[in-house]
Amino acid sequence: MILEHMRSATRSLWGNKLRTFLSMIGIVIGVGSVVAITALGESARASITSQIAQAGLETVTVNVGRRPGAAVERLFTEELVDKFTEFEGIKAAAAVNRSNAQLKAGEESASEQITSATPAYLDIFSLEMREGRFVTEADMLERSAVVVLGSELADTLFPDGGAVGSSVRVLGSSPKQLRVVGVLETRSDTFGFSFDSGAFVPRTSYLVRIAKPDRPDSFVLWADPDARDVVETAAELQAWFDAETGSENAVRVQSPSTIAETMSGVTDTLSGFLAGIAAISLVVGGIGIMNIMLVSVTERTREIGIRKALGATPAAIRVQFLVEAIYITLAGGLAGLALGMGISKVASGFLGWDFILSPSSMAVAVAFSAATGIFFGLYPAARAARLDPVVALSYE
Amino acid sequence: MSGPRNRPVPSDAAGASSPAARAGAPDLAPPAGGLVVAARGIHRVYEVGEEKVHALRGVDLDIRRGEYLAIIGPSGSGKSTLMHIIGCLDSPTEGTVAIDGVQVADMDETRLARIRNERIGFVFQAFNLLARESILENVALPLQYAGVNRRERIERAQAELESVGLGDRLGHRPSQLSGGQRQRAAIARALVTRPAILLADEPTGALDTKTGDAVLALFEEIHGRGTTIIVVTHDPDVAARCRRTVRIRDGLVEEVA
Repeated sequence: MILEHMRSATRSLWGNKLRTFLSMIGIVIGVGSVVAITALGESARASITSQIAQAGLETVTVNVGRRPGAAVERLFTEELVDKFTEFEGIKAAAAVNRSNAQLKAGEESASEQITSATPAYLDIFSLEMREGRFVTEADMLERSAVVVLGSELADTLFPDGGAVGSSVRVLGSSPKQLRVVGVLETRSDTFGFSFDSGAFVPRTSYLVRIAKPDRPDSFVLWADPDARDVVETAAELQAWFDAETGSENAVRVQSPSTIAETMSGVTDTLSGFLAGIAAISLVVGGIGIMNIMLVSVTERTREIGIRKALGATPAAIRVQFLVEAIYITLAGGLAGLALGMGISKVASGFLGWDFILSPSSMAVAVAFSAATGIFFGLYPAARAARLDPVVALSYE
Repeated sequence: MSGPRNRPVPSDAAGASSPAARAGAPDLAPPAGGLVVAARGIHRVYEVGEEKVHALRGVDLDIRRGEYLAIIGPSGSGKSTLMHIIGCLDSPTEGTVAIDGVQVADMDETRLARIRNERIGFVFQAFNLLARESILENVALPLQYAGVNRRERIERAQAELESVGLGDRLGHRPSQLSGGQRQRAAIARALVTRPAILLADEPTGALDTKTGDAVLALFEEIHGRGTTIIVVTHDPDVAARCRRTVRIRDGLVEEVA
């Protein structure tokens, strides 16, 4: 029976090609925009994730939260570093302090941050050396008066090169002289911190020469994704801190993965919002379908009368017109799917993103168009089914 | 016009193939004295704005199985209303109607549709074939609503078209046929479900005299096979060829000798 309705729907829609096409356009545009926006959202999300992965998915930072309280003052000590390495999934940890300083080399000077560093710091941030070496265990033991410069800072202070082996003065109430032992390779910022413009001093040396903080500002950890999911590790740490401090706001544990999740959440919300707007165009398209179906029912009043005289029940008439409405919207949905994929493919190409469209999104788009057909076809179909056979037969 | 008659014709064709014999209809009564139509005290009132129009004012009409009957009357007499009620396209405001032994006066639209499908074959003045479909599809359509599978539908529709002499026109659209051919296709469609009643509304009204005569000759032939035929007409020549004539005047029926 359904097959029969499909045959008759094909014939009737084919008999009105232009009208069928025009009424389909609304659905094509609606589904097309939903698909395009969904696909671009998915692509954006993947692109953000991959950018963050490049920045180092293995780094977890532990910062003081919005309401540190006394517990943090007690917890944040050098000993915490050893505690961290006992956690499953953490390979290394380092306490970090930073302070602003005026650096001078010859006539050149720069105002930048000096960061305390340990040998582990290199691994934690997967840093690479352009020249020389990083902070070593020996530097730590001897509290050596050495510094490693970021690539940009090195170029500022030593525009003619030859940074390694030269001296840098740290200006202040009691100026310090540091020997440059290495320059970092250029790399992207992580958590808004620029390695390129930083200066790194062995932590032991930092605490005697640069500043005397009460406690570490933060900790950086090197997570091992092979041993355990980084997000999971970060979550466990967060839970540990929350329990230790008795507050959820005292300490904040962050991994690029959690940031990625936040960013994805933002992208999802945004693309959901846009898809919602696009869905409105689908509703407009659906109203177009309803309009055309009502016209079709009026036009075919006599045909409906004939069919009823031959024994079509109201249900049979209803199904016939419903199948036609679903036919138009489904065909429009498939065309819209192709259009949306085309648009998002071109757009993501321009934006340099990978083109991603999950099968589930495609299925949802097509199912949604069919649902539009059912919803907006229901009323015209019911109207056709309700027609009085005598009135319908005498309709001119 | 004389196609192969490959349909076995029992002497009491209408009775033997009567859908009344089918089980399932709860209000199925044994055909009372072989009555294919038993109308009692039929009233039909239309409300046109404030006014009430009495189209039928207490019609009693019995039609026996195998009759060839003409219903005549001037326009506005209630002739069409009676035809619609006999054809189960409309229900009386008051009174009872048994079609082929089944009380239909209080049926809902779905059950009326089934009665129309199983027991009544319509032939209209304007043929009323679906323009987009071939005549084969047109003739097969009632069988679709009867739930017959496609293969059997096509076979039966083809046989029916052959029996009215259109076996070589199966794939033609109605617009590709002459008026007489269209009416014969419509007759094939009316007969394909083996109905108890062939109900024709001005069947020759849109045809010239010669073609109209051919259609009436076909009716004779169908009647000869035992099918009950009711022709609604205002044409005395058409009525003259029927075995019995009733006249409707002012919503009442009277026999014409």
